[in-house]
Amino acid sequence: MNHKRDQHPPRFADRFLRWFCSEEVLETLQGDLYELYFQRRKKLGKFSADLHFVLDVLDTCRPFALRQKSGRRFFNSNIMFKNHMKLAWRNLKSQPFFTFLNMTGLAVGMAGGLLIALFIYDELSFDKMFADSDRIYRVNIDMRNSGETNYYAAVSGPLAGVIRQDCPHVEMVTRFRVVQRTLLRKVEGDENVKENHVIGVDSTFFDMFGLELLVGDKETALKEPNTLILTRSAAEKHFKLNEALGQSLLLNNTHPYTVTGVIDDFPKNSFLRDHSVFIALESFDNAHSDAWNNFNFPTFVKLAPTAQIDDFQKFLTGVNENYLIPWAMTFVPGLTVESAKADDKKTGNFMKFRSIALEDIHLYSRDRQDEFSPNSDIEDVYILSLIGFFLVLLAIVNFMNLSTACALKRAREVGVRKTLGANRYGLIRQFLTESALISSLSFLMAVLIAYLAMPFFNELTGKNLEMPFYNPIFWLAIVAAAIILSIFSGSYPAFFMSRFMPVKVLKGSDGNSSGNGRVRNYLVVFQFSISVFLIVSTLVVFQQLSYIQSKDLGFQKDQILVVDDVYAAGNQMRSLKQQLLDLGEVRNVSLSSYLPTPSDRSGTTFFLKGSFKAENAFIVGHWEIDCDYIPTLDLEIVAGRNFSEEFYTDSSGVILNESAVAMLGVNPGEAIGLQLTRDFHRQDKEHMKFMKVIGVVKNFHFESLRNDIGALSLVLGGGANRMMVKLQTKDFSNTVKQIRKIWEKVAPHQPFNYYFLDESFNSTYKAEQRLGRIFITFTILSLFIACLGLFGLAAFNADKRVKEIGIRKVLGASVSQITYRLSADFLRLVVIAVFISIPLGWYVMNRWLEDFSYRIEISWWIFVLAAALAIAISIVTVSYQSIKAAMASPVKSLRSE
Amino acid sequence: MKIGAFEELVLLAVGSLTENAYGVSIKELLAEKTGKNPSIGALHSALYRLEDKGCLISTEGGATSERGGRRKKYYTLTARGRDVLIEISKLRLEFSKNIQGLNLSWDES
Repeated sequence: MNHKRDQHPPRFADRFLRWFCSEEVLETLQGDLYELYFQRRKKLGKFSADLHFVLDVLDTCRPFALRQKSGRRFFNSNIMFKNHMKLAWRNLKSQPFFTFLNMTGLAVGMAGGLLIALFIYDELSFDKMFADSDRIYRVNIDMRNSGETNYYAAVSGPLAGVIRQDCPHVEMVTRFRVVQRTLLRKVEGDENVKENHVIGVDSTFFDMFGLELLVGDKETALKEPNTLILTRSAAEKHFKLNEALGQSLLLNNTHPYTVTGVIDDFPKNSFLRDHSVFIALESFDNAHSDAWNNFNFPTFVKLAPTAQIDDFQKFLTGVNENYLIPWAMTFVPGLTVESAKADDKKTGNFMKFRSIALEDIHLYSRDRQDEFSPNSDIEDVYILSLIGFFLVLLAIVNFMNLSTACALKRAREVGVRKTLGANRYGLIRQFLTESALISSLSFLMAVLIAYLAMPFFNELTGKNLEMPFYNPIFWLAIVAAAIILSIFSGSYPAFFMSRFMPVKVLKGSDGNSSGNGRVRNYLVVFQFSISVFLIVSTLVVFQQLSYIQSKDLGFQKDQILVVDDVYAAGNQMRSLKQQLLDLGEVRNVSLSSYLPTPSDRSGTTFFLKGSFKAENAFIVGHWEIDCDYIPTLDLEIVAGRNFSEEFYTDSSGVILNESAVAMLGVNPGEAIGLQLTRDFHRQDKEHMKFMKVIGVVKNFHFESLRNDIGALSLVLGGGANRMMVKLQTKDFSNTVKQIRKIWEKVAPHQPFNYYFLDESFNSTYKAEQRLGRIFITFTILSLFIACLGLFGLAAFNADKRVKEIGIRKVLGASVSQITYRLSADFLRLVVIAVFISIPLGWYVMNRWLEDFSYRIEISWWIFVLAAALAIAISIVTVSYQSIKAAMASPVKSLRSE
Repeated sequence: MKIGAFEELVLLAVGSLTENAYGVSIKELLAEKTGKNPSIGALHSALYRLEDKGCLISTEGGATSERGGRRKKYYTLTARGRDVLIEISKLRLEFSKNIQGLNLSWDES
């Protein structure tokens, strides 16, 4: 019987049958169904036959139809697996070059991905080790005043008490107090130890964070004034652990404190890392102050188990109205809640109490003042994840690319296998086995590479990571990733190759190579787009960095040595200064705690004489300096004069910077002689103290170039804790030695801590420099992987066209012509990639630059350079293979036919 | 050896079709003898079960065009299948002797 198309039983049902039915059963079953169908069709007509067929197909969907022949099947697949493995291994060995390219690319990409995954895992793990960490929140203040917004991690002192009393949603409140670095010594000893991370805290500390004391009693520790607790490592600097309790320590050479407990060191991924000394909050004078305008107390709350954070946030929003303004009303005449609100509305000022989850502090709380430890930025995590993702993707793409390219060589193998009875699934399994073998081998390599690269990576990211070799989850993740990867990367070659038609490939045509070639081209374009994008990003980051470094900052940061903790010299400070000035190498010495690089900061509120309305308050930075400060830093005075020791009235003088003058709404010349006061609390107005503006300095960058230059007021003051020494020498180490000698004479047994101002300046841009280094590393990696892929493809291409090249040479083509022919195809792809990635790079990097108040314009040459770089690298990569192929003797390639 | 009632019928049909027992012919015979049209799924399912139990063996025949070029699978009764049938019949006979007015016997059939 001749089967015309319309005589076929319903195709969808037939297809369904073929899908669910195992191969052994299919033939007979389908035969029976067909036979019945044709019978019925003759007897009952098409519709009825179709219907019966469909019902019959559904009816046969029973266990017997699905089953594989038991026993024999298992045995078979086991043998086949061994066979697959053997063949896969032989295949890898027979093409060592491609195997090497494939595995290296994959391993390097995976190692990069692995390191980044570890990094991100660590970043996300912060502060989760505390009991109930999901219920703990910190209160922050966001404040805007006179056009400047400030963010504080520490809040007003009375807030904690108010929450404890009036907020039902909170189970517990813990208050810290910001403390500067502190020198510590035993009362009977005289060697001081410097502790950089000292903080005050109340006795709820232990319950809030679920801490246990190694030594001491939770009930009494931190309760009394002038007591403290230490971490294990801080305690062991002074005593044996079990003897620590009840010992006395002298803080800053003056106040004796009793040790009432020792706790374990905090883990590296907690916000209290490195904090070593905790002073009882009761020890501070202002622990019970009712002033809301000093932000010295970082405050943590633990919500009640049933409470929602929104409830607490609502309470915080009401704090201004219910507590803060009523307090201010006691000394600001005529202030009401309504007038304060109206003022804020008019001026755009605000002061907001906001909560942040403990677990979010590390990634979402950057750039706050009085932050416990330096935090990261969630954006860095995103950028790194993206880079890691790209890297792994590049590696996989590479693998797919090379495998499919090699596949064409194996088209015949597939043809022969198919004629000998291999079915498609067997072939898919074969190819997947191969990719599983490669990917597990390269994963082993990747773990090794990651292990070796770990120290370098730690330096790059400023972390302290280790390979979690003893963590079973790590290995599980590795195995899972290897399996996913082998399926993912092996799937394309497997499914593509198993589709080859045996007749076609055995006849000599390459299956459907043209379609495959197109996919490979896309992949190359994709790879190079990413690489060029990364090149552009790297160039922009570095250009911005060098811009920052070379920008005129308004002060001279070079050749300035900073000595910390000069407080330790006590009343010898002046003599120290004089002795240093007597050194020939020292040009200037200035005493101040406030440097234009990270150091102390404080602010104050001024009112201009005659206008005491709240809206006229202007909040400025407030630094105490000495007469030598301005010449030491080479600040430029644009109006008025510097402080001078000759005018004793200068103690009530003030120097403003241009930003502050602009805030007053006058120009620098007019500012001289204006009267300002900080004394507005005073009830008896006639005794109010005023300060006279005696000079205006040119704006200088005392914050990161991310920010605009803030308003600043400089006044004369003592109590400095840092000394800047301006040097004029080439022999730094010798000069430092001399200064140290003087220091040891003046302040025996006190630590001599010094650094150079420009180093400290550079450390402000650590994040950017880190980003730059990360970019350059991963750009190189991704270029490397992309080049491996291109190299492999070029090699493959040259190999495939070896006869064509031979014939061309015989017919008189020159080496350069052939090289050009072979390279041009690839170059076209790279050029397309350049055009795709340039707008992308431009857009993304502009977004990044927007973070900086002072930034470069992305110039066109960056793109030209990136494009040229990518093209040059790809030319070098491809031409090696092309030239090699072009130089080969045609006799060799042609003699076999 | 336990076989179900439907399996028993299939076994009987295969036995009586001798050389020509394959899916469609068995189905037709059963329809003719019992007056009920067995479902093709149930039939194949039973055939595979009987084959597993060793009551039937199958051989593949040539392809024919009315089956769209698919081969037939011919079934033959094995000695074991034969024993099973005998056993069942004996059981029935045994029982029927005890039932008044029911008179079955081998020899006559």
